[in-house]
Amino acid sequence: MNFSNEELLEMYSDIVKSRVLGEKIVEYIYSGKIAGAIHPCLGQEAVSAGILTAFKKSDIKTFGTETHRAQTVMAHRVGWKPFIAELLGRTGGCNDGISGEYHIHDLKNGQLPAAGALGGTWAEISGFAWALKNDGKKRQIGFAPYGDGAISQGATYEAMNIAALFQLPVLFFIENNGIAMSTPVEKQSPLENLADRAAAFNMQGVTVDGDDPVAVAEAVLNGMELAANNEPNVVEVKTMRWEGHYVGDPQKYRDLSYKNDLDSICPVIRFEKRLKALGILDDETIKAVREAQTKEIVDGFDEGLVQNVATKEQVLDYSRVYSNNAGGEL
Amino acid sequence: MSEMSVMKALNLAMFEEMASDEKVICIGEDLGKQGGCWGTFTGLQDKFGINRVLEFPILEAGYTLFSVGAALGGYRPIVEYMFADFVTLGFEGIVDIAAKIHFNSGGVDSCPVTFVLPQGGGGKSGAHHSQSVEAWFANVPGLKIVAPTTPADIRAYYRAAIRDDDPTLFIYQRATMGLTGEVPDVLDEVPSLAKAGKVVKTGADLTIVAYHRALVNVMAAAAIVEEETGKTIEIIDPRVLIPFDKECVFDSVKKTGRLMVAHEAPERGGFGAQIVSWVVENCMNELEAAPVRVAGVNSIIPFGDLEKYLYPSVEDMKAGILKALI
Ligand SMILES: Cc1ncc(C[n+]2csc(CCOP(=O)(O)OP(=O)(O)O)c2C)c(N)n1
Repeated sequence: MNFSNEELLEMYSDIVKSRVLGEKIVEYIYSGKIAGAIHPCLGQEAVSAGILTAFKKSDIKTFGTETHRAQTVMAHRVGWKPFIAELLGRTGGCNDGISGEYHIHDLKNGQLPAAGALGGTWAEISGFAWALKNDGKKRQIGFAPYGDGAISQGATYEAMNIAALFQLPVLFFIENNGIAMSTPVEKQSPLENLADRAAAFNMQGVTVDGDDPVAVAEAVLNGMELAANNEPNVVEVKTMRWEGHYVGDPQKYRDLSYKNDLDSICPVIRFEKRLKALGILDDETIKAVREAQTKEIVDGFDEGLVQNVATKEQVLDYSRVYSNNAGGEL
Repeated sequence: MSEMSVMKALNLAMFEEMASDEKVICIGEDLGKQGGCWGTFTGLQDKFGINRVLEFPILEAGYTLFSVGAALGGYRPIVEYMFADFVTLGFEGIVDIAAKIHFNSGGVDSCPVTFVLPQGGGGKSGAHHSQSVEAWFANVPGLKIVAPTTPADIRAYYRAAIRDDDPTLFIYQRATMGLTGEVPDVLDEVPSLAKAGKVVKTGADLTIVAYHRALVNVMAAAAIVEEETGKTIEIIDPRVLIPFDKECVFDSVKKTGRLMVAHEAPERGGFGAQIVSWVVENCMNELEAAPVRVAGVNSIIPFGDLEKYLYPSVEDMKAGILKALI
């Protein structure tokens, strides 16, 4: 599959945007502006850039259950400002700054509820995809990302079985960053490639380099086409987590020597080199892109920070908990 | 005596029980190099090896049932869920299988698993990482529920839970993991789970039963109200919810004539309602006023600082005490 120069440059903007978002999340956590343990995507930016490219290029509409570390994709779905405001717990957030980044939910924009408890959403998205198919909605699919850790949960196998059995329009996506909290992937699965699990359900499973946004975009586009044809399938992308599990995690469980030379494993730098070799990127553009993306994100944070925090009345609003008045009281 | 945190007390209790019984094993996520999700398993795998401290992938449903099988095979598993909320994935194993084993075997076999549940707020992580779960299980016969608060009680009752032959939920509060206190160097006797109620402070005008962070907040509020009103308040830490030490509470209420219960779990269907029922059924003649409950709001826990609107604060405790004293 070919990407035009414009598409490649937009992919580059997205990879940089993802990097800046990760860096800003770390910065704002340390300055106490973001509460809760947020899990940043540093090191994994090519994955989000590839996914975004595929979403923009294809006419297929996706509904996704993105959760932690897929902040860039969540922000793409719900809008950058509403996403950042939610991260900050402000009323302009897509869930009024009440539900929080762990529980982002914006169905009209394709964001199915993100879940703080890992393991269930693959099965949940199968039900959603069944509804799409049953209602004859063409070229609409479920996009179900999880990490290498979350897919150990039994429900993910049940989900693959259900999806394969009913031929549902779902793409199961595994963002394998080599580690789940402190547990390396070798201690979670005897498989070299986690996408091989698809074979047990007679589905296609592919594994690609997650630090190459082009490879990710191609694999996702292919997987989306299959899914839209009611051929559920699995795409695994292999990448690497740079940060701790959460910001501030001392990572005593891990050999940290990779930190000595991050440039050599950096997906952003790698992509820059590639685009430079193709003659479509120069240092000036690199600087300009970085500045533009930083501005957009910093503006988002600045705008969010002047918004209100929800009041007690808003938090304890009966109609937020129940759908009608039949219940009476909290 | 040494001063230690709840976190250290949890670690100590496991070291002691693993050393005293080679059939005690640990099951959970990140139990290896990380020493458990909260560091409470630090050093255990180094000391007792990977066959006694089993690090699992993220599959709570699977390892809950695995632990029941290991218990049937003669082991005494300690099973940790990173957040009590995630025990939802283990429900079948605990509620349908573990709880019924002794009964269905005609009283022959037991299921000595200790399910460890760090619960409640404080982490500001919202709806899926902050719930209090004791009442979810209190309605399931066959399970025991242990819920101590102070480091000394955590150490003693964790050991008691591990030794108990029935499936036992050991619930502690994450927000008070850093709470410190004196812990005896040697525990002369591991306590029984029966008669665990403890009068932590005597008083004449009101009995309060509270546990976990609610207990900490009640202690602070009671001190203020005593100072302001000249009344004296008796505070009971039940330490074990099932089997519940009813006599300890009845004796106190018969003396004070008033009752308040406090916990962080939502009020409706909360364990406090059960305590109030027992007291009303047994101490009706001595009660001078309606019992008061101070508990979590019956709502969903929001993210971030907003969680403060859900959980009873020292102020809420104070208001409850004043109401109970009227
Ligand atoms: C049911 C459940 N168990 C445990 C956790 C705690 N937890 C949060 S993220 C995480 C690691 C997930 O690893 P992975 O899926 O590989 O994603 P990564 O963090 O590496 O992006 C764990 C164990 C959880 N959220 N839900």
